[in-house]
Amino acid sequence: MKAKGKVWSMFMLLLITVVVAAGCGKADNNGGTSNTGGNAAGNTEGTSTATKDNKDIVIAINANFITLDPHNASDTHSISGGRTMYEGLMGFDENMQITPVLAASHTISEDGLVYTFTLQENVKFHDGTDFNAEAVKVNIARIQDEKNNLRLRKSFAKVAKVETPDAKTVVFTLSEPYNAFLNKVAMAGMISPKALQESGADIAKKPVGTGPFKLKEWVQGDRLVVVKNENYWQQGLPKVDSVTFKPVPENGSRIAMLKTGEADFIYPMPTEQVSEVEGQEGIAIETIDSTIVRYVTLNTMKKPYDDVKVRQAINYAINKEAYIKVVKSGLGAKLDSTMSSKTQYYSQQTGYDYDVAKAKALLAEAGYPDGFEAEIWGENDSETIKGMQFIQQQLALVGIKLEVKSMEGGTLSDQINSAKTPEEAKIQMWYVSWSPSSGDADGATRGLFSSEMFPPAGSNTAYYKNDNVDKWIADANKSIDPEEAKGIYANIQKTIWEEAPWAFMGVDQIISGKRTYLEGVKVYPDGSINILNAEVK
Amino acid sequence: MSNNSSVMGAGSPLSEEVLAPAKTKGRFGAFIRKFCKQRMALVATCFIILLFLVGIFGPFLTPYNPDEPNYDALMTGPSAAHWAGTDEYGRDILSRLMDGTRLTLAVSLSAVMIAAVFGTIFGLLSGYYGGWLDRLIMRGSDVLFSFPDLLLAIGIVAILGPGLSNVVIAVAVFGTPSFARIIRSVTLSAKETLFVEAARSMGAKNRRIIWRHIFPETISSIIVNVSMKIGGAILAAASLSFLGMGAKTTEPDWGAMLSMGRDYLSIAPHIVYFPGIAIFLTVLAFNLVGDGLRDALDPKTKN
Amino acid sequence: MGRYALQRLLGVIPLLFVVSVLVFMFIHLIPGDPARLIAGKDATLEEIQGIQEQLGLNLPLWKQYINYMGDLLSGNLGNSIRSGMPVTDMLESRVMPTLWLTFLSMGWALVIGLLIGVISAVYRNKWPDYAGTLTAISGMSIPGFWLGLVLIQIFSVELGWFPTGGVDSWKSYILPSITLGAGIMSMLARYSRSSMLETMREDYIRTGRAKGLREYVVIGRHALRNSLIQVVTVAGLQFGFLLGGSVMVETVFSIPGLGRLLVDSILFRDYTVIQALLLMFATQFILINLIVDLLYGVLNPKIRYSS
Repeated sequence: MKAKGKVWSMFMLLLITVVVAAGCGKADNNGGTSNTGGNAAGNTEGTSTATKDNKDIVIAINANFITLDPHNASDTHSISGGRTMYEGLMGFDENMQITPVLAASHTISEDGLVYTFTLQENVKFHDGTDFNAEAVKVNIARIQDEKNNLRLRKSFAKVAKVETPDAKTVVFTLSEPYNAFLNKVAMAGMISPKALQESGADIAKKPVGTGPFKLKEWVQGDRLVVVKNENYWQQGLPKVDSVTFKPVPENGSRIAMLKTGEADFIYPMPTEQVSEVEGQEGIAIETIDSTIVRYVTLNTMKKPYDDVKVRQAINYAINKEAYIKVVKSGLGAKLDSTMSSKTQYYSQQTGYDYDVAKAKALLAEAGYPDGFEAEIWGENDSETIKGMQFIQQQLALVGIKLEVKSMEGGTLSDQINSAKTPEEAKIQMWYVSWSPSSGDADGATRGLFSSEMFPPAGSNTAYYKNDNVDKWIADANKSIDPEEAKGIYANIQKTIWEEAPWAFMGVDQIISGKRTYLEGVKVYPDGSINILNAEVK
Repeated sequence: MSNNSSVMGAGSPLSEEVLAPAKTKGRFGAFIRKFCKQRMALVATCFIILLFLVGIFGPFLTPYNPDEPNYDALMTGPSAAHWAGTDEYGRDILSRLMDGTRLTLAVSLSAVMIAAVFGTIFGLLSGYYGGWLDRLIMRGSDVLFSFPDLLLAIGIVAILGPGLSNVVIAVAVFGTPSFARIIRSVTLSAKETLFVEAARSMGAKNRRIIWRHIFPETISSIIVNVSMKIGGAILAAASLSFLGMGAKTTEPDWGAMLSMGRDYLSIAPHIVYFPGIAIFLTVLAFNLVGDGLRDALDPKTKN
Repeated sequence: MGRYALQRLLGVIPLLFVVSVLVFMFIHLIPGDPARLIAGKDATLEEIQGIQEQLGLNLPLWKQYINYMGDLLSGNLGNSIRSGMPVTDMLESRVMPTLWLTFLSMGWALVIGLLIGVISAVYRNKWPDYAGTLTAISGMSIPGFWLGLVLIQIFSVELGWFPTGGVDSWKSYILPSITLGAGIMSMLARYSRSSMLETMREDYIRTGRAKGLREYVVIGRHALRNSLIQVVTVAGLQFGFLLGGSVMVETVFSIPGLGRLLVDSILFRDYTVIQALLLMFATQFILINLIVDLLYGVLNPKIRYSS
């Protein structure tokens, strides 16, 4: 009896182990076979969803839409959602270049102060009203109205007046030249003035624009469904009947939806799993370089980072190739400037190749032959933590003992911005990413390197101050000649690169996954999704 | 007890327990004897002893340096060189598990002990004295309770900042009210028993009644709860890691290993498989021991 | 009994008041400025101050509290700080998924848990007991998010039986409720087992046996009824936990429920939404507790309520 009981209990423990092992083993099989080109998982769904017999597509994304008000959206997904239904005078193409949309053409005066747009004709809002110069004026007035306090207001702060000489001409007069103005114009979707008047603040829930799709329903937190605008002004578009956006925050779940065919398109595709689904039947992966740069700011007003040698040493001590391999699963590029190659006026820099000996030598010259102890801050998502852990491992090799402090976004922002002066700042290193919201060089430079932008006013957490750079930023902004602006930005990038207020890490790749029958859904370098040309084949 | 045994059918499910010899050679002896009859609990105890040994000596026994990355051997599966494979930085997972045993046990044990001490005190006072004290304590625990567990933990970590001790506090705080409530409900029942009424009528002091008569009644509940909460605390700490508020993401805490590895579930399942097994078996073992202790400690079988 | 119930019901009001104050303090203690989080990383200081003014966040805390209470008492939950939508709208669309998930999880957990508990107790130290205990303990030993991911991997991706998430049909709820209910089921199974064992040792059960009552009568009518008291406590407590704590499951299975809304709101310090949610959870929880307490009296006549 006693012996029997003992055998039993041992057996039970074993059984549980086996059950758990079976669960994991299954996943293992799947991973193994798909890598060798088999389709163990493909079998079940391959037959039913390798083709699609309707024109209703589902796109799974990683977060909720916050608002559909195109003048008030600050997160990429809300911007994408808005753009399915709204269009601006200008827009972006897939390389973030400015292209005309509702404006057929435009001219800029010699002094860079007067922008004249000629509008497309025969464009109607979803509610049937005409799109014309007056509508543009109403929209700009709404954006500029202080009472509304919309996110886009600062982009139009330099607009002194808007005139409408006739129904298809709009003239903007600026108070001073503004190099990035067209980028800002491209951000402003045009809302139907009639709908604006009728819905008031509710316009964020009931969008009425000129875009290729109309709102069907928006269930907060669950789905956004848009349907084809039958009267869309561009002939032959759109080619799908409806598009459903679903927020699916968990990476594993989002991938599962792509595999089962519940989603036709997913973004972002987690880098870790690209190798698994790549080559799987019915699934295609698309990658493009993004405008999202990743870096570590080094507080240049704090010891020991106030010594440029220490900052350069840190740059030499980090193996960027290994960073991309380990943290980005091989999908990404080295950051070789202060901005991504996809950002306006990018100029490539060289140097800081991985060199531990040189890093140690520089540290010794700076008076830290044995390294020092330091602290790195970052947000608490797994990707950021992964990056900080990698940096910790790398810097350990040159004697810098790094403590990783991951904080929740709000807490971190508080920690950074509670310092009112550079002297109060506790920040040492911050591992973070940045993407200029409208792809312009000013957006990728001013907030990060201008000495007016020390926290809490901006994001210059390196407390970087260089009088030349300050002056150049202002000059570039007022420059109306693109070549001149390009030259100025090249100087800025070169100077900052040499002074190394950052540890330059990498440029993200935009990775999306889709079913092979789907064409034309594009993720732009800033992470926004464009569905204008979506098509089921 | 033995009086009743005669009326029991031989085939009754309870016969074994009821027929158990009632002679006692001191409390401890009886406890040991009873506990040893719980075979699953015994196996589990051995497992936990092993865990503690690993917790104490683990850092000296690891086959590799648990923090040493190897970027040329990322996510390799289990092999002769790496029994549990390597993780996303090429670190040896077995070494990390051994090294992390101490951290994992320390966090959960200290959190549960804190919760048990406060929960028991509050539960006893509340149940025994009733009246305004009861209302105060119970409403207090209601208030704590009315914040969902994880939210409370998230809030505490958000307010106090991330860190080991703050995770312990967070897990302890949301463990306390449930202890208090359960101890209170046992106290309420115990208060009504004949021997407590007898003691009271004989003029025994409240403190003595609580300590000598009611507290022993609650021991089994405390133990069941502690055993259950240790497992729960390990899981809660893992959940905090899942939400990015874990103890220390860079240290080999099992929960952190599990949640950091989850993005690799479908390509390198061993990264989540082994920490998962470790957590699973540990929680299982604590629960089995709890069960065994519960039966062995039950005050009623001592009479 | 009736008087006790009324007394408890009235006691809810001051409790809710205390909760509302605590909730308010609690969220303002969490570091982080919603205005800054809404405005985004590249916002100017002026822009941030504009938002603060617009939302009344620049007022002294006591004034903010008065405003908030004033709104609350007039039944107005306000607008979300982050999206500007009325909070009531946001809650409305999120309530049903969470309720469904909760009830389904609790439903199967209660049935299976009690069943396992009773069988384990009756066949104590026999193989059904071992099997039951191990099933129960396995359920509570697996981290929820991990179980969810594994279930998706097996039943959605490989077998294609259930959707990976969402709330489009009843099928969507199967995997999430298994994941969410597993822990509760285990807990209930263990509690019902232990309290069954405890009650089966009570005098009146032995008396029942001595009187020659059949075993199933003893167990079903007497032992089970009396051990329900602990089980009800635990179930009630877990109900509150389920309602609010389904964050993990809602994240893994992309269910647009209250748990996820709460976490999202905390991340963005969306004070109005957090306040509304916490108050809602608190009210629910307090009411559930009240019901549990009153059920004590019904199920265990031995407990006296003294006023």
